[in-house]
Amino acid sequence: MATGGLSRAAFEEFLIHEARLLDERRFRDWMALFADDGTYWVPAVPDQQSPFDQASLFYDDRDLMKTRIERLEHPRIHVQTPPSRTAHLIGNVAVENADEAKGEYVVGSTVIMVEHRDDQQRVFAGRQRHRLRHDGASFRIAQKRVDLINCDAAFEAMAVPI
Amino acid sequence: MRNGHADEIAKLIEPGRVHRRVYTDPDVFELEMERIFGRAWLFVGHTSQVPEPGDFITTDLGRQPVIMVRHRDGSVQVLINRCTHRGAKVLNERRGHAARLTCCYHGWSFDTDGRLITVPVPEGCAEGFDKDAFGLARAPRVGEYRGFVFASLAPKGASFEDHIGPVKGNIDDLVDRAPDGTLALDAGMHRYAYNGNWKLQVENVLDSYHVPFGHASTVNKDGVQFARREGDRKGATVVETEKKQTAASWMDRKSFIAGNGHGWTSNTSLDDGKRSSPAFDEYKKVLAEKVGAEQAGQILTPRLHNSLIYPNMSIMGLNIHVRVIKPIAVDRTEVTIYPIRLVGAPAAMNSGNIRLLNVTHSAASFVQTDDLESFVRAQKGLRSHMTDWVDISRGLGAEEPDRDINATRGLATHEMVIRAQYNAWLGYMGGTA
Repeated sequence: MATGGLSRAAFEEFLIHEARLLDERRFRDWMALFADDGTYWVPAVPDQQSPFDQASLFYDDRDLMKTRIERLEHPRIHVQTPPSRTAHLIGNVAVENADEAKGEYVVGSTVIMVEHRDDQQRVFAGRQRHRLRHDGASFRIAQKRVDLINCDAAFEAMAVPI
Repeated sequence: MRNGHADEIAKLIEPGRVHRRVYTDPDVFELEMERIFGRAWLFVGHTSQVPEPGDFITTDLGRQPVIMVRHRDGSVQVLINRCTHRGAKVLNERRGHAARLTCCYHGWSFDTDGRLITVPVPEGCAEGFDKDAFGLARAPRVGEYRGFVFASLAPKGASFEDHIGPVKGNIDDLVDRAPDGTLALDAGMHRYAYNGNWKLQVENVLDSYHVPFGHASTVNKDGVQFARREGDRKGATVVETEKKQTAASWMDRKSFIAGNGHGWTSNTSLDDGKRSSPAFDEYKKVLAEKVGAEQAGQILTPRLHNSLIYPNMSIMGLNIHVRVIKPIAVDRTEVTIYPIRLVGAPAAMNSGNIRLLNVTHSAASFVQTDDLESFVRAQKGLRSHMTDWVDISRGLGAEEPDRDINATRGLATHEMVIRAQYNAWLGYMGGTA
């Protein structure tokens, strides 16, 4: 697939960088990766068609993302006392679609996130799809969608983004 | 709790306090499954989840797996999801469509009213085998009000009308908001779970006392929460920061009880004059066109904030949804939240509700997550036998009759509604319900 001279590694490096910001709880830097009209979506059922007519685990635009992050920074967020520690592993990265004219690329990958909090450890895993806009030096995220393999399970509280 | 005798049960509840064992003792939980979840009218589902014959959902009533299915004659059947042959769960999908309900194990096949239709290799049946005696078991009693389907697993007991009567108006409060006068629970669901007793969630839904503290992380430095409804410019004022106290809008909020453990809180204004968005404005217009300006005006005046239909469901009037509480074990509970679509409302209005419910009540929401943390910590703290009693005495003696609506009124920051839940609990558990 033609990717405007961008190597697969360039996309992979971006995804690794994004995951690292989450693991380091640099949530504001993470949000800054998103385009102004960017969205973060974690569907609640497999193959969910739309975030507008069905419940989702997360469907944040930049405004909601900001509220979410302000809450994560709040000293009295009980569900983060103690805070979560996470380790993301990103693999199987492949450019699935490229719109050279718009400089927009759809990149699929597999994500595994292990979370430890308050003596409990759990694993989230799934397929993620980033719609990325190349802005010369790097990328901005137009949409990040994470399809967890257990998206329709009954979850204990999830405080941090996948 | 070896035998569950009434006097032993009665010792667990005192005026203004309950013994920690009601949350921690597995024997109490077993009795609850038998005497509350085996007797009470329990919410099963909504007719909009099974619009066509053969449409079904599966759920649990207490620990009984059930199927709610639409039969050919239009009736909604509540069947026990257990093959009458060797016991396998017949339907394994959470929802779906089936002309017949066929067991995976030996292929026994049932009609959508539970009747056994087909037994493969019938020549092997014992002499005198009577297919009519092998229909799926069913909930002995089923009742419906405006699409909300309830069932009791006991053949006798308080009638559906007696049970639901005091809270019919709470259901009306929500259904009437739909321009077409009906709701649809067809926007998926949120599911969350926690390591805590089921009553911790039940007690929480009408508890206005916890909001500024439990949900401190959702309140900004001006004491204001984020916007929670389509068309809201900002959220509720939770704390009056100058006085450093809970805001008057919460302190003044009333709670009500009217028997059977049910309760509700008011008031939430649907249209405070400041709420506006293209979708909400269009909704108001459509509502007035459908029901008339006067009726629409009434619907948009202060409505109920949250209602509990004891023991297993609540209806929230703010971030509109139906919540179903499912006990798993004495220290494990699952909750399902159904977003509500107001049929006849503009798609953008319903979409706004669905989106905001993601941030208030999904497992990854801003609000519900801190409640879950409180439930988990309560269950951990209640392990201690150094303090046996849980205090629920706020407002004890301050209750007053509200004769206009035949209910008893208190403040929503009081614990009257929780005491009413334990009165109902005692009634069921003592065997008098």
